[in-house]
Amino acid sequence: MTCFLYDGTSEGLVSAIGQILDSGSDPGVATLAGREDTLFEEGLFLRTDPAAADVLFSRLRQRAPDAVHTIWYFMMAETGGLETSLLRYVVLALQHGDRINGHLTHDDVKAVVSAARKAARESHRMKGLLRFEQMRDGAWLARMEPDHNVIQPLARHFSRRLRDQRWFIVDLRRHSAASWDGRELSFGTLEQFSRPELSDEEQQVQAMWRTFFSTIAIPERRNPRLQKSNMPAKYWKYLTEKQGE
Amino acid sequence: MDIQEKLGILSGAARYDASCASSGCGREGAAIRVGNTSQGGICHSWSDDGRCISLLKILLSNDCRYDCAYCVNRSSNPIPRASFTAREVVDLCMEFYRRNYIEGLFLSSAVMKGPDQTMEDMVRVAEMLRVEEKFGGYIHLKVIPGSSPELVRRAGLAADRISVNIELPSSESLNRLAPQKRKESILAPMKLIGTEIGSSLVERTLSRKAPKFAPAGQSTQMIIGASPETDLQILRLSQGLYRKMNLKRVYYSAFVPVNDDSRLPVLASPPLLREHRLYQADWLLRFYGFSAEEILSDDAPDLDESFDPKTAWALRNPEFFPVDVNRAAYSALLRVPGIGPTSAKRIVAARRFSAITPEGMKKIGVVMKRAKYFITCSGRPFEKEVREPLRLRQHLLLGDPAPEPRQLVLFS
Repeated sequence: MTCFLYDGTSEGLVSAIGQILDSGSDPGVATLAGREDTLFEEGLFLRTDPAAADVLFSRLRQRAPDAVHTIWYFMMAETGGLETSLLRYVVLALQHGDRINGHLTHDDVKAVVSAARKAARESHRMKGLLRFEQMRDGAWLARMEPDHNVIQPLARHFSRRLRDQRWFIVDLRRHSAASWDGRELSFGTLEQFSRPELSDEEQQVQAMWRTFFSTIAIPERRNPRLQKSNMPAKYWKYLTEKQGE
Repeated sequence: MDIQEKLGILSGAARYDASCASSGCGREGAAIRVGNTSQGGICHSWSDDGRCISLLKILLSNDCRYDCAYCVNRSSNPIPRASFTAREVVDLCMEFYRRNYIEGLFLSSAVMKGPDQTMEDMVRVAEMLRVEEKFGGYIHLKVIPGSSPELVRRAGLAADRISVNIELPSSESLNRLAPQKRKESILAPMKLIGTEIGSSLVERTLSRKAPKFAPAGQSTQMIIGASPETDLQILRLSQGLYRKMNLKRVYYSAFVPVNDDSRLPVLASPPLLREHRLYQADWLLRFYGFSAEEILSDDAPDLDESFDPKTAWALRNPEFFPVDVNRAAYSALLRVPGIGPTSAKRIVAARRFSAITPEGMKKIGVVMKRAKYFITCSGRPFEKEVREPLRLRQHLLLGDPAPEPRQLVLFS
């Protein structure tokens, strides 16, 4: 068995997989782990090679475009410890093409697809639950602390939707941010964050939304359990309609 | 009256409308300043009754000249009345949309001076959103029965979805409980909408510039439990609406007694379980290839309270089972209780690689609670076989009993 290590970044992971496949060593018995995650650093460290990552991605895009999508969401899931499964998944995807995502009885496929599915689900959920607030200078700010690193697909979604607004999306868990100036998206990190002052109108609109939220429920059908199962309490922190509860 | 107060009255008055769908069409383009719609729809919140909030669901006015027995807004009710101006609705919708509270607008209304004037006001809201605000989000307009074909056409061109409420499951009940509404004035716009949607689809195959007419289709809604119809009558009606009128959705809304009226039944609570079972049966009609006559019969015209309609069908048709997950067609897998389109598709995809074992079924993510009694994996029963009908019912109701309940002996 050959153990490989990589630097723990997404790019490093894809590049490592590309290098293992190129090296001719049997991926069926190889293992792959982040350098930080192993106690003794026993194994061969593969340095990140962006070119190797690119080559692998373009091979995959041709052979199994859905798998590229799955890998993209898998990275967002940030689940450590599944690198070896991803390696095996990539080998299978190159072999079988897109139908590999249906091979759920295979443990490695199952692990990768499930992780990707979780991130995809949260990304979809946040498209509904993210709340923008207007600041004094007219720009808009949305804060969140998602379980998975979903800021990229979210930013893309809102660049098509709220396209005439200047906005920021801030992930306070990862200290990262996305911004849209009406034309272009950019991504970056945030060392410090404090919420700027809100516009005068903002409080009034928020109050109206809370009114709507409470009167739209049918009192005879009250069902807080159903509400919570659809909208877990971990997302309430930044929900306008759940402030002051 | 300030806008906050109006909003309280007119969203409270709209809450009995069941539809909240925002799916079914994609709208994007350069002529749009803000907003788009997505094929799958997006839920933005869930209210205290657990229902999803996706649209700003409000009435333009609750000031009704009609006096329908079941309706909270009927003219004889002494409740506060309010009406929005078109501008107020447009501004609310835009402010909410820009904050990502909603996917768009669901606009209905009480009948004010008359159907045409009310419909005209509603259509104007939608047109202002599309033209002045260049709004690309979702709009669902309710059509007021009796409004002119021209207004219905304008509604369909501005909205993504339009709907006419059928209100009650039979024309006798409609005559009794909503005497000012006529079956004909409900069915006429439904037919017109169906025709317009059809011809718009044809025109769009010829020219991409042809206007879209209600691209997310037509839906309707009826109240369940305010009138004596059986579930079979209701499902037959829905089946007809899907097959003949090409509707996208029929919504069922459990009757909530909001008025004292001798024409209405007295209920301890809204018939929520019945509503739930009807939705399950409705799903069987739309996605599972069932007909109303397979689900219910004249001898047993109401849905079983203890079992979902598919399990009830399976118990009545033991000769169909067991279904072998490694050989059965997709359509047969769909008939297994507990297996829906997602599971059935996963089974079909997974067995292309290797035969699925009982353990594999769990890995795929199929919920086996009910399915396990009805399937085999390459001829082998999934678990210890339970074929004896009475015991099977017990297992399904109570889960796997261990040790076996003694009472069974008494019944068998």
